[in-house]
Amino acid sequence: MRARVGNVLRMEWAGMARTPSSLLFLVGVPLLLIGQALFLSWVLPRFVNPELIGVTAPGGGGLDPTDAFRLLILGQFGFFVLLIPAMIANVFATLSIVEEKTSGTLEPLLATPVRTAELLLGKILSGAIPALLVAWASTGLFLALASLLGWSPLFPYVLTATWYITLFLLMPAVSLLSFVVGVIGSSRARDAKGAQNLAVLVVLPIFALIVVQVTGLIWFTPLSTAILSAALILVDAVLLRVAVHLFARESIVIRWR
Amino acid sequence: MIRAEGLTRRFGDRIAVEGLTFVARPGEILGLLGPNGAGKTTTIRMLAGIIAPSFGSASVLGLDPARVPERVHERIGLLTEAPGFYERLTARRNLTYFAGFYPGLQVERAVDEQLRIMGLSDRAGDNVGTFSKGMKQRLALARTLVHEPEVLFLDEPTAGLDPEAARDLRGLIVRLKGEGRTILLSTHNLTEAEALCDRIAVFRTRLVALDTPQALRERQFAPLVRVRVENLTDALVSAVAGEPFVREAGRDAGEPGTLLVRLEKADRDRPVLVSRLVALGAEILEVREDRRTLEDVYLSLVREDEA
Repeated sequence: MRARVGNVLRMEWAGMARTPSSLLFLVGVPLLLIGQALFLSWVLPRFVNPELIGVTAPGGGGLDPTDAFRLLILGQFGFFVLLIPAMIANVFATLSIVEEKTSGTLEPLLATPVRTAELLLGKILSGAIPALLVAWASTGLFLALASLLGWSPLFPYVLTATWYITLFLLMPAVSLLSFVVGVIGSSRARDAKGAQNLAVLVVLPIFALIVVQVTGLIWFTPLSTAILSAALILVDAVLLRVAVHLFARESIVIRWR
Repeated sequence: MIRAEGLTRRFGDRIAVEGLTFVARPGEILGLLGPNGAGKTTTIRMLAGIIAPSFGSASVLGLDPARVPERVHERIGLLTEAPGFYERLTARRNLTYFAGFYPGLQVERAVDEQLRIMGLSDRAGDNVGTFSKGMKQRLALARTLVHEPEVLFLDEPTAGLDPEAARDLRGLIVRLKGEGRTILLSTHNLTEAEALCDRIAVFRTRLVALDTPQALRERQFAPLVRVRVENLTDALVSAVAGEPFVREAGRDAGEPGTLLVRLEKADRDRPVLVSRLVALGAEILEVREDRRTLEDVYLSLVREDEA
């Protein structure tokens, strides 16, 4: 099984490397999100009266109002960066099966001894792994740029246990989830657009996570973040089985034209 | 060996294939001949374990493609109607990918070997997107053969190819048969079917006829022999007409001095007819057989089925 999953992985990566638009997207989306986060962290505390916000991030109580406001924004980056795998999946995963069908490679592929689970796992990991690496690299770049802007004194309040759990547990879980949902969409929808509509469903809860924190409704503690991550890992495992079950070889070969 | 037993496939209310029963013997090329929408591709997909039959059963090399498709896939090769490839990747990369799914295969060696056989070694490092249709078809055949399958399903292998590329591909198919592989060949091309196939299944949702091209011809049209005779008489015509192997005999109204004889079986009866005529004192100038083409046979069978 590992050899066949690896075979799919290598092929997908070879295809990605040969497609300049894919590479541009992999680099462009994170840069855009980092730029946006840095811009908001810089501009909002200058033009918005922090005292009007009325929400303070944990640990920000002793800081001056501008720094406390900036901390509130910087602290969201851990969740904000979850959008990277979700958005990358929205493009790559949703095309994964649709493209095989439109290029006529799916039927020859299904005539090999590859099992559905091997094919789908290869497709999911081929996107989820680079998306995760890009998201981690983006986090590093964000911190480096924030440090250049002189915000490093806030790092002890930002780089908390919740931040690390988000980075190393929640983010892999969200990456997998995004790609599993994208591949399910790709194997059920008749075209990429239909698949993308389904994959958007992953992006919305991430926005919700950011909104509930910014508005101070819920603050994620290390425990709640770990529980959320564990729940998502479980959901990933279940959805992977569902994806295999929903991958109707016959229907894809016969009905898609 | 390929065996189909009452193989039926429905898509909703529409019947694509109905009650198909046949056996393709080891080392044989069996042609599937039929009009568009006759169910040829559906039949191949069922036998290759891509889709399941609604009713009936199939067996390929003793395995049921509906129950153990992966085990069947290890031992068969399927050439699909459209030779789909990852066009931005090289021919070698494409073949390596597909070969990588077969257990125990020495991928690099198998890929090199197939590229060499198909005459594509020089272009192995080029993107498939730059290939002509003929080259893509050869690459598709290389993909079909990379794991040395015992049974091949070839769906319209020469469709859309120029005459030279089609001839080359037919040569390859003959070579594959020579290697002892069982081949199920779906085609529209009647000349190709006659040249390549040991037996032909004329097919129109259900099986209309299955036999060798010659037997199909004889079944539909009794062999007609024209004999130009120097001294043709009515007595000679009557004597020939009375022979047991002759269905019908008479003068050719359009060609004086020519005797028309309809035989039971061409190869068996033609020499007997000639010796009989000689014995009857006929001075034979020329003997020729009016051969019906496979197209005549096919159209006749299809019309008969329609009726």
